[in-house]
Amino acid sequence: MFGRVRGAMADAAETLRRAFAGLNVVQVLPEPFALMPHQGSLLAVAPCSGLEPLAAIGRPAALFGASVPSRTLEVFQARLMAEAGWASWGAEAEVVCMAPLETGRAARVSVPPLPRQARALGRLEPTARPATRRITEPLAQPGLRRLDPKLAGVSAVAGLEAFLSLPVPIRAEDTQRLPKGLWMRYSLQLVRGTGENVRNLEVLGLFYIPRKGVADLRHDPKQGRILVRLEPSAVRAPREPFVLARRKDDGALLSCFVEGS
Amino acid sequence: MADAIKLAYFMAVKEGASYLGGLLVTDTSGIPLDFRYTEPITPTHLQSILYGKSLEPHLKEEVIQKTLLKELKTPPDLFILSATELAGGWSGDAKCPVLALQKTQESPLAKVGTTFRAGPRDLLLQLAEGAAPLRVMFAASVDPAAQEQATAKLLEAGYHMDLTEPLERVTVALQSLVVKGS
Repeated sequence: MFGRVRGAMADAAETLRRAFAGLNVVQVLPEPFALMPHQGSLLAVAPCSGLEPLAAIGRPAALFGASVPSRTLEVFQARLMAEAGWASWGAEAEVVCMAPLETGRAARVSVPPLPRQARALGRLEPTARPATRRITEPLAQPGLRRLDPKLAGVSAVAGLEAFLSLPVPIRAEDTQRLPKGLWMRYSLQLVRGTGENVRNLEVLGLFYIPRKGVADLRHDPKQGRILVRLEPSAVRAPREPFVLARRKDDGALLSCFVEGS
Repeated sequence: MADAIKLAYFMAVKEGASYLGGLLVTDTSGIPLDFRYTEPITPTHLQSILYGKSLEPHLKEEVIQKTLLKELKTPPDLFILSATELAGGWSGDAKCPVLALQKTQESPLAKVGTTFRAGPRDLLLQLAEGAAPLRVMFAASVDPAAQEQATAKLLEAGYHMDLTEPLERVTVALQSLVVKGS
């Protein structure tokens, strides 16, 4: 702080020294008062044309004698003069007059403290708090109802008799898997039961069907099976081997139960 | 022939807004031994909303199937249902192996009785000479040993009957019952 003031003072002193160093001080002495002569001749005026320059001729007058010096008036000659100094006026150094420093005019500047908290602008003002009112009358208690989502139990119905109305397909047994002796015995029983010549018979298949209760029987040659319609008595009846055959001469179907093994 | 083997065929159908199911027990010739069906169940609109997607499985497994199984005096040897029902994640509690049967277009296997295991619970079974093998799908509750025993029973029954045909009969019977009821 003091260093800066000291530096400023030195600069100011140097500036003043330089400003006043180049000035020439010229002392002009006042001229002595010239007394007018009491006696003298009238000034001779010579008529001149207007174009001639004015010329005044001074004539010496001896009013106070020879002791009083007199000066002869010089003739002014008119001529055009120009001042060239104005053009270089702006380039000249400017003399800056600085006010000298004065004591006691400096004021102590205190730095204002920064605000501790930034102020938030644009904050919404809280809405007006509604006035609370109390309803003294209680709400009605709702009635409670229970809906049981449980599905109702179902009862099973015995429907075997109704089911037996549907034809039951029975597949023919594979006679190739039967013992040859057994199959020979079945063939013999078929011939004996139908009374036909064995050469006139074409065996369609061997089926295990209920011994009783078969209400209807149809042959399904495409599937190699028979479709039987059963009665309730057929359910518990024993299954017996049943041979179905076709008579070759007229295509009639022949069948008979053969004894089991 | 082995008359002791009993096959139970279960089918549940939806006719309109009603559900009903049937259980057919046959011998190895396909001859019916028992048939029971449930009365049609029509869930209310509220029940349909509350149960959502679980309504149909719940009705078929918990309501219809359990009711029908309770009615059986002796448990069957095999519990057969449709492949669709089994694929939907069957979680019933039948006391016998539960499986589904499906006809295939696969080329015949080497000989009758041959099996080809396509998966842990899926196998092909050759039942007839020269015919396409039958696809057998077991429920998750059937362990490998039980699968072997069930396969042997299927092979024995398949020698005498078409194993997939009774399920079609049950469906036809249920549809005819609905028509009669309406």
